[in-house]
Amino acid sequence: MENIYKPYLMEIKEIIEETSDTTTFRLAFKDGSIGEKFDFKAGQFAEYSVFGEGECTFCIASSPTRKEFIECSFKKAGKVTTALDRLNVGDTIGFRGPYGNYFPVDEMKGSNVVFISGGIGLAPVRCVIDNVLDLRADFKDITIIYGARSVDDLVYKDKLEDWKKMPDVKTIVTVDPGGETPEWKGEIGFVPAIVEKAAPKAENTYAVVCGPPIMIKYTIPVLLKLGFDEKKIVTTLENRMKCGLGKCGRCNVGNVYVCKDGPVFTYEQMKELPQEY
Amino acid sequence: MEEKIITKENLIKLSTDLVNEGFNVIAPSEKGYTLLQTDPLLSLSDSQPLPKSPFKGYLFPKTEPLFYYKKGQHDYEFVDVNLQNVKNIFLAAKPCDAASVNILSKVFNWDYKDEFFDIRADNSLVISMACSTSDEYCFCTSVGLSPVSTKGADLFMIPLAGDKYAIRIVTDKGKSFAEKYSKYFSDGNSVESEKVLAGIKAPEQSFDTAKVKDWLDKNFESEFWNGIAATCLACGQCAFSCPVCHCFDIVDEDYSYKEGRRMKNWDACQFGLFTEHASGHNPRDNQAKRYRQRISHKFKYYKDKFDEVLCTGCGRCTRGCPVSIDIKEIVTEINNLN
Repeated sequence: MENIYKPYLMEIKEIIEETSDTTTFRLAFKDGSIGEKFDFKAGQFAEYSVFGEGECTFCIASSPTRKEFIECSFKKAGKVTTALDRLNVGDTIGFRGPYGNYFPVDEMKGSNVVFISGGIGLAPVRCVIDNVLDLRADFKDITIIYGARSVDDLVYKDKLEDWKKMPDVKTIVTVDPGGETPEWKGEIGFVPAIVEKAAPKAENTYAVVCGPPIMIKYTIPVLLKLGFDEKKIVTTLENRMKCGLGKCGRCNVGNVYVCKDGPVFTYEQMKELPQEY
Repeated sequence: MEEKIITKENLIKLSTDLVNEGFNVIAPSEKGYTLLQTDPLLSLSDSQPLPKSPFKGYLFPKTEPLFYYKKGQHDYEFVDVNLQNVKNIFLAAKPCDAASVNILSKVFNWDYKDEFFDIRADNSLVISMACSTSDEYCFCTSVGLSPVSTKGADLFMIPLAGDKYAIRIVTDKGKSFAEKYSKYFSDGNSVESEKVLAGIKAPEQSFDTAKVKDWLDKNFESEFWNGIAATCLACGQCAFSCPVCHCFDIVDEDYSYKEGRRMKNWDACQFGLFTEHASGHNPRDNQAKRYRQRISHKFKYYKDKFDEVLCTGCGRCTRGCPVSIDIKEIVTEINNLN
């Protein structure tokens, strides 16, 4: 029988400790033939599992243009992420996916892109950044604005350094006031304020926005004030999920299933949704 | 519709044959839908009241393994579940329960196919019976069904005078079944059975689902929900006794740190933890929001997505509610708010 709930097995190839509570796994399919066939698009998510502990949901953080491995980043928060956090290189986890819709990367070609993210919200954005950078010639100006509570809470520090060095990418990294260290050379301020200060031009520009709900809430008015098109502000919704397949009945926002109709939504779509996320 | 006649005596013989052939023959009894192997068919009564629980659990069990895992010499190994031998016949099922099969099939098949449900449903035969036991909690006529509805049935029984039943053939599956066991059936006509159907008292229609949906479309935020949910204990009885509630959880059961199984268990939108994120954030953080979800899922979201109302009007949620929350009353009130 075809079992939609049965996961693939993946091996942890590398573990990167991003912050005190956030970890990135680099994963490879145990069965190489699945790895060769496996395809996904930036923004899609998966169900990751530790056998005996259960499953949990997060995005695929690596870019679909980089096929050798899959990366995911998670924050130690609940039962399964705590169990994941205890694993070592060489351990096996379960993986079901990819699920959900994706960022409109093809549609974004020929435009400027501004990436705005906060905290671990950089994970879903990172896969689009890498995707876009791998097809750099297809896009115009690229701006990355990323913030975290403190210097210690910044994830993907190596990536941030790489992006800063790129001459054709404008990268702004900020920490919340009070989160800076004496050596900190980046910006100090909340993400919405930094976006306002950077004032990216809105014409022919897509904004990809992911982060804590409070950051999204205050960033969108800034973008609208700058003149961004509601259709070109793209974000992801996170709701608790179990199946990821549009059946178990808990991730819905009104009649929209985040797992099937999302997780990627434009602001134009999002503002029509009831407040249930 | 083609009609056959079966005597009660032949029905008993047929059921015995089916049991001997390895079918689970399941019929309403005082305890619920029970296996005839444990409850003799002789107790099958034309006036059996609605069983306390629906037969949903035979197609979508309260708890079921999705697969077994074991840490082998080198890596995890899976053992699949085999459902091919599960063959159910629902005999004399209530029309409000029979209707649940088609409704549930939509959510389990709209995109990814959930074969745990599909295999069981495909291997089942539903023989429903005209219902003459509706009570003050029943409202099948308000959700497009009736005590004589054949929705979801393969064969439809109508009790006739003289210890016999008219059997109407509803689907091809029902037709091949009647052909296979033709020795127990004789040809019938609908004259007598039509008279029986005409004499069955149906519950009065209380609301119009289109009007209810119309209000729900416009009133996500409403004071109305606060009042209703004030008494709700969040016990989940309403969901667990519902023939079409289908929310579930996926959890692991580990036996020994080396082997275990992944389970699919019933869950309910009335539970506080149902939508709670690991961060502590909860999009439905009070009972009013959770009750709104329950009513909206049944009368709006499912209709939007699958063009079906997620309710068969059986009234079990109300009968079993420890604080007497009455769904018929609530939905009628919504109908009248319009």
